[in-house]
Amino acid sequence: MLNFRFRPELRMPGWKSIPFPDQIKRLLIIFIILVIMLITVRNYLMPPTFVKEGHYRAAAIDSILALPIHYAGQEACSECHDEYVALKQTSYHQNVACEVCHGPGANHVEDPSENTPSAPRQRGLCPLCHIYNASKPTGFPQINIVTHNPLEPCMSCHEPHDPKPPQPPEECGACHGEIARTKAVSHHAALECTQCHSAPEAHKKDPRSFRPSKPRKRTFCGGCHGENAESAGEIPRVDLQSHEPDHACWQCHYPHYPEVR
Amino acid sequence: MENLIEQLQPILKQVVGYIYPNEVELHWGILIVVYPYITGLVAGAFILASLERVFEVKEVQPTYRLSMLTALAFLIIAPLPLLAHLSYPERSIEIFLTPQLKSAMAMFGFVYAWYLMIVLMLEIWFDYRKDIVYWARSKKGWRKYMYYLLSLGSLDLSEKAIRFDRKAGKFITIIGIPSAFLLHGYVGFIFGSVKANPWWSSVLMPIVFLFSAIVSGIALMILIYGVTTLFRWKPIDMACMDKLASFLLYAMILDISLETLDFIHRMYESVESIHILGQLISQKLFISLVVIQILLGTLLPLGSLASVKLFRLPDELRRLIYFGAAILVQIGIFSTRWNVVIGGQLFSKSLRGLTHYKMELLGIEGLLISIALLFLPLFVLYIIIKILPPWPEAATTPLSSIAKESSQ
Ligand code: HEC
Ligand code: HEC
Ligand code: HEC
Ligand code: HEC
Ligand code: HEC
Ligand code: HEC
Ligand code: HEC
Ligand code: HEC
Repeated sequence: MLNFRFRPELRMPGWKSIPFPDQIKRLLIIFIILVIMLITVRNYLMPPTFVKEGHYRAAAIDSILALPIHYAGQEACSECHDEYVALKQTSYHQNVACEVCHGPGANHVEDPSENTPSAPRQRGLCPLCHIYNASKPTGFPQINIVTHNPLEPCMSCHEPHDPKPPQPPEECGACHGEIARTKAVSHHAALECTQCHSAPEAHKKDPRSFRPSKPRKRTFCGGCHGENAESAGEIPRVDLQSHEPDHACWQCHYPHYPEVR
Repeated sequence: MENLIEQLQPILKQVVGYIYPNEVELHWGILIVVYPYITGLVAGAFILASLERVFEVKEVQPTYRLSMLTALAFLIIAPLPLLAHLSYPERSIEIFLTPQLKSAMAMFGFVYAWYLMIVLMLEIWFDYRKDIVYWARSKKGWRKYMYYLLSLGSLDLSEKAIRFDRKAGKFITIIGIPSAFLLHGYVGFIFGSVKANPWWSSVLMPIVFLFSAIVSGIALMILIYGVTTLFRWKPIDMACMDKLASFLLYAMILDISLETLDFIHRMYESVESIHILGQLISQKLFISLVVIQILLGTLLPLGSLASVKLFRLPDELRRLIYFGAAILVQIGIFSTRWNVVIGGQLFSKSLRGLTHYKMELLGIEGLLISIALLFLPLFVLYIIIKILPPWPEAATTPLSSIAKESSQ
């Protein structure tokens, strides 16, 4: 053999007697060292409470618990303001929590005289939820903030804890609330339902037997929107002959809807 | 905020149709294109090496060790694009410390570690041990110690020990093939399992990934084998080249059939996403998919490789064709990855609009870094080759005689 100065054999008693080939024994040693290293590093680096409760750090719950509490919850308010709680309980706002409008109240509950929550009286608050937005579910009460009784605070007509409209909807809106609501924010807000539907009086008593009319022809819309229609000058016009002649107008512009221009 | 708007302005101009606000900017950029491309090369190169070992394809034997080392070099670099993509790369260690078995992404570390440590390293070690011992004895200075360390002190060169090396190597190769399938199939799975994305979500994804990986790996070995042989002033073994080229041809035929199957399946199903995917292909991916991936990267090399089979061409010309085809295939497979990764993010989940990808040039997720990452494995390969030369003349016994023994 070549002149090699190392004594390569591991001088370990019994090395030869382990019944594996030499290579495997050595690889196993390396492997075991790696595994031990991994376990040590893992023990050292892994947060101590990690797998205790699941795949997360159990102590994280305690650190979250230690965070300051800002919201007291609606039950807390009823202790002192039970009249408001009772009022709101049966109103349209029953699912809107007190602190949504009044802001976090935990410190107020602790010391009511020292910390008074705000009572937002400006017109800006209510539109946060009620301004018209096409993506809100149909039927959600929405208003066009520009045209809905401008300049007056909402509170002057709607009690925030029981916000029913001052007078119950009459006429068609009593039953067709959703249509009335969407139409109220559409381009056709100013038009009466009866402008486009002639409803027999009996419809209000027996709606399924006495059906109101619905626009049937394009020329109906043309009565206001045609080039030569005798209608108010500011109404936008189209040429009925050339403007999408193959479809009914409401296939593209459903007149109740605001977003379909 | 202002900054962000300014950044998105040029992209917004290219947005068509309706998209959601968080879809304007792509979150997976070119780095995530580089990553499956590189792992594909690893799996491909390894599978090629295994062919020689398991099925004893003698012709491609000159590339056996080279393929193993190439796979190792590329595998070492494979996680880098991912790390560069993370905002907090130092936290990546945590997926090893607290393994979450239900997350496919979290399992990457283990698939990777298994493949690197158990499959590649071990197979190379067993294959080279005899030579390492020889070098540990014949080299001088620090090299001696390095080889001694690499041998792990296992210096036994007896007939029995060497036979065991060969057996162990073969055994590992046999585990290695499914492992290579796992490694790259896994990458395909990551995409294929995103059920919200109609461009990705497909059970065929892992399989298509795998076959394109094999294609790219074989093409890479044609290039690396050719170039290294040229630089060593050795004659190119044409039998080997021809065999590699045939493998490439067959793998490409399989690959293209699978992709066509996927395509036909999608067309036939025609689920609601088909319209937007059609727009995606015709508007945003036309160059990278139709022109580069299909025409340049698949049909042209396929045609030229097939023509070599049909006509008798002189060696010189065949070599040129193989080289050209291999380069085109690389470009083609890279754009395949591009079309999957980038394409899958270009259309809106509303299925009504398309956005645009604007690649950075500088910056950690930019083009320059990606190019660097693509060439880094070659540099690593150079170093590995310096340590473990795969050439027949560097080995203690001629490789051919080993092959003879192993076939007995
Ligand atoms: C311990 C009894 C108590 C509890 C519990 C309590 N409050 Fe009060 N709250 C008071 C008292 C007392 C006042 C009058 C303080 C003042 O006028 O300085 C008050 C005043 C208010 C005001 C009027 C502030 C203004 O500007 O006029 C609001 C709004 C209010 N509370 C909301 C709440 C809400 C919401 C809760 C539940 C999270 C709540 N309170 C819980 C005792 C309580
Ligand atoms: C939709 C928003 C909203 C919700 C929900 C709401 N409030 Fe109010 N609250 C107001 C507004 C606005 C005022 C001011 C009313 C005014 O000045 O007429 C107010 C006033 C008050 C006041 C003070 C009255 C005053 O005259 O100073 C108290 C107390 C109060 N709310 C308690 C409650 C409690 C308790 C709840 C939960 C049960 C609650 N609020 C839920 C909007 C709300
Ligand atoms: C946090 C969101 C929110 C805020 C703020 C809010 N509301 Fe409401 N409002 C609601 C919800 C929810 C309903 C119930 C809708 C339903 O019944 O489908 C409602 C219902 C109503 C209704 C009943 C409409 C009807 O006829 O069905 C009125 C009127 C109303 N709110 C007025 C107000 C006014 C005035 C304010 C401001 C003081 C206000 N809302 C602030 C969420 C809000
Ligand atoms: C001058 C009184 C007045 C003021 C001020 C006023 N409203 Fe109204 N609001 C009404 C009346 C009357 C109705 C019911 C008839 C209708 O739909 O127009 C109503 C209806 C509503 C409805 C129900 C719409 C529907 O589709 O059922 C909402 C929501 C509403 N108002 C919110 C507000 C908000 C928010 C403000 C403040 C920005 C406000 N209102 C200001 C008188 C008022
Ligand atoms: C008592 C409740 C009620 C009132 C008030 C009412 N409707 Fe109706 N309306 C109904 C019902 C119920 C239907 C039938 C819905 C259905 O069968 O799908 C209906 C159907 C309609 C239809 C559709 C008819 C069709 O053939 O599709 C129109 C248009 C209509 N109403 C318009 C009006 C107008 C305009 C008014 C006001 C003058 C009005 N309604 C008042 C309950 C009412
Ligand atoms: C500008 C004209 C116009 C006005 C104003 C109008 N509608 Fe209509 N409405 C139509 C048209 C057009 C259709 C669709 C007819 C069709 O589909 O055949 C329709 C359909 C309907 C229908 C049946 C289909 C549905 O959407 O449920 C109802 C109910 C209805 N309108 C109720 C109303 C009520 C209630 C009002 C008033 C709040 C109203 N409409 C105001 C034009 C109008
Ligand atoms: C009684 C007259 C009248 C009739 C009938 C009528 N509209 Fe209108 N339309 C209006 C008025 C008024 C406006 C509001 C114009 C404005 O916004 O200034 C309007 C606005 C519109 C707009 C919005 C145009 C824009 O871009 O500003 C459309 C679309 C429209 N109408 C479609 C229709 C259709 C469809 C019909 C038939 C179902 C119809 N209209 C029937 C009076 C009418
Ligand atoms: C195939 C869909 C379609 C049909 C059907 C259709 N429109 Fe339109 N309409 C549009 C579109 C899109 C626009 C907006 C683009 C434009 O300004 O040309 C528009 C615009 C309008 C405008 C606003 C023009 C302006 O100057 O702002 C009016 C009013 C209008 N249409 C009325 C009608 C009437 C009345 C009918 C039926 C006779 C009708 N449309 C049928 C699609 C349609």
